[in-house]
Amino acid sequence: MNLNLTLSFILGLFLLILLWGLNLSLGAVAIPLGDIWDRIWGEPFPKNSWETILMDYRMPKALTAILAGINLSISGLQMQTYFRNPLAGPYVLGVSSGAGLGVAIALMAGTALGWGFSMIGQGWVLFISAALGSIGVLVIVSITAWKVKDSMTLLIVGLMFGSLASALVAILSYFAEAERLKLYTVWSLGSLGATSWPQLQLFGMATILGLLPVFLLTKGYNAMLLGENYARSLGIKVNGLKWAMILSTGLLTGCTTAFCGPIAFIGIAVPHISRLLFQTTDHKVLFPGSALFGAIILLACDTLSQLPGSVHILPINAITSLLGAPIVIWLILKRNFSKEF
Amino acid sequence: MGKSTLLKTILGFLPPISGEIKLFDQPLGQYSPRELAKKIAVVLTERPPGGNLTVEQLVALGRIPHTGWLGNLTEKDRHKVQSALRLTNIEQLKTRRIGELSDGQLQIAMVARALAQDGELLILDEPTAHLDLINRWEIMQLLRRMAQISGKAVLMVTHDLEQALDSCDQLWVMPSGRGMLGGIPEDMLLQGKLDLLIPDSKLYLDKESGKICATKQVRFPEITGSPSLKRWVKNFLRKTPQLPIRSLHVEDDPFSIQIKLEDNTHTFRSFEQLHQFILRIRQ
Repeated sequence: MNLNLTLSFILGLFLLILLWGLNLSLGAVAIPLGDIWDRIWGEPFPKNSWETILMDYRMPKALTAILAGINLSISGLQMQTYFRNPLAGPYVLGVSSGAGLGVAIALMAGTALGWGFSMIGQGWVLFISAALGSIGVLVIVSITAWKVKDSMTLLIVGLMFGSLASALVAILSYFAEAERLKLYTVWSLGSLGATSWPQLQLFGMATILGLLPVFLLTKGYNAMLLGENYARSLGIKVNGLKWAMILSTGLLTGCTTAFCGPIAFIGIAVPHISRLLFQTTDHKVLFPGSALFGAIILLACDTLSQLPGSVHILPINAITSLLGAPIVIWLILKRNFSKEF
Repeated sequence: MGKSTLLKTILGFLPPISGEIKLFDQPLGQYSPRELAKKIAVVLTERPPGGNLTVEQLVALGRIPHTGWLGNLTEKDRHKVQSALRLTNIEQLKTRRIGELSDGQLQIAMVARALAQDGELLILDEPTAHLDLINRWEIMQLLRRMAQISGKAVLMVTHDLEQALDSCDQLWVMPSGRGMLGGIPEDMLLQGKLDLLIPDSKLYLDKESGKICATKQVRFPEITGSPSLKRWVKNFLRKTPQLPIRSLHVEDDPFSIQIKLEDNTHTFRSFEQLHQFILRIRQ
């Protein structure tokens, strides 16, 4: 790793910590950064309410933003490389919709399956159903990818599975009880602030589990840059890589979608941003780079969404889309996709 | 006719339909993918995606079977990459992104990548398929040089019989509906084994030039003069409509073509003039 790269990572980490502090400090009640700094070194806050606000609300929310940012970007990068498609990402290929369907089944058809509200509240039911939903869609998309080599067809198939999942969700919503429907609707708006500490533990463990294959297979992803046949000729077990990719993205997207709802654009935009900034296709750099940018960008989006000084909180999806859509449009118009990718 | 399937089987992508493949006296199935990758490197017809890679990074990807789990290059790996770049004469392209390369340059870079992989066997599937003449020639020269310098075996699939006759030491042909035939290319040409590649009687393989020609006979007039130019005169006459030319004389220095028609003689300074003349008298 050369000096420039090390420097960018240090700069990125610094930015992340700065944003983290800002994110904790800003909101309906402003907590001065200095007091947060003192609190880290064990000095209690001047106001008791700050402790509750920070520890029960803002800290879990910031951690959720960081984890979700990492997970979505890493999922997006894996899918873009594996499918050799610059437009791939958890949202586009229907993986988020699959997770959504899983959650919808858990939330709205739960009575039929014998789950009470209390179980759902624990988070792991949501998590498992979302992960199963996203892995299911990925398996179907991969089987299609194996049958049809054309990546455009694949995107369309992904979109179709997305709408199929939405249709099933619509049917479920129609028959669901009002209370459960509301629960699902609120979830589907996307929110980073609904995670409790125990849920965050689960989220963190799922993230570590989902990131493991990425660490082990970085080399394989680099080989995939030359396409499947060349990767195989370099001794990469492409089939194994495919299943690792499916499990990893299924787990990462699944847990993120379960806890935060479907979050758009981070998964597709962040890998492109890190490719542009680092000017490389080496996954040894791109994986940590995307994770860092994903965390920074989602944390920034969350800071913006709480509108400093106001009691209103905008839905996180509105902010990521507002930021992400122009980036993707700019990428498509300005850069030569097939050459830059 | 099953060439790609054969290559895929040799590369271990597909199981053999029947029989067994041995590489260095060991059945192919006993190699792990990684061991096999250390023995066999490959260049395919498809242009690889990944246009943002630099040539150096591309060549370094060839070291993947030799590196640890993160793919970090050791001093030895770096050395192999540099020598592959040097042998293929593309050191000056090192920092260029492969999306900016011409087809020929990219194919040379792919050969360099395969060299860096450092196997004993280099397999190429129609590596010159979409290249222009010069690039085609350069790649073939490069491959011959590689085979001679490094002592690696180069196995290549091609549709271009002339190219194969020009450059290979051993030739296998796969005529449709028959088994493979192999041997020294010159033997195969002279023994008529290559004739099996020609499906019907409209074409034949000219034993002198190694070219495929039309069977249709053209009656040539009597041609005299410079022997080295006769061939091109015939080449020209084959494409022009028949004329009542009695005899033709061609001179080398200065260039002139003299034709004798029924009554008179005409002299031309170039084929262009002859061509114009023929067009005139046909009107």
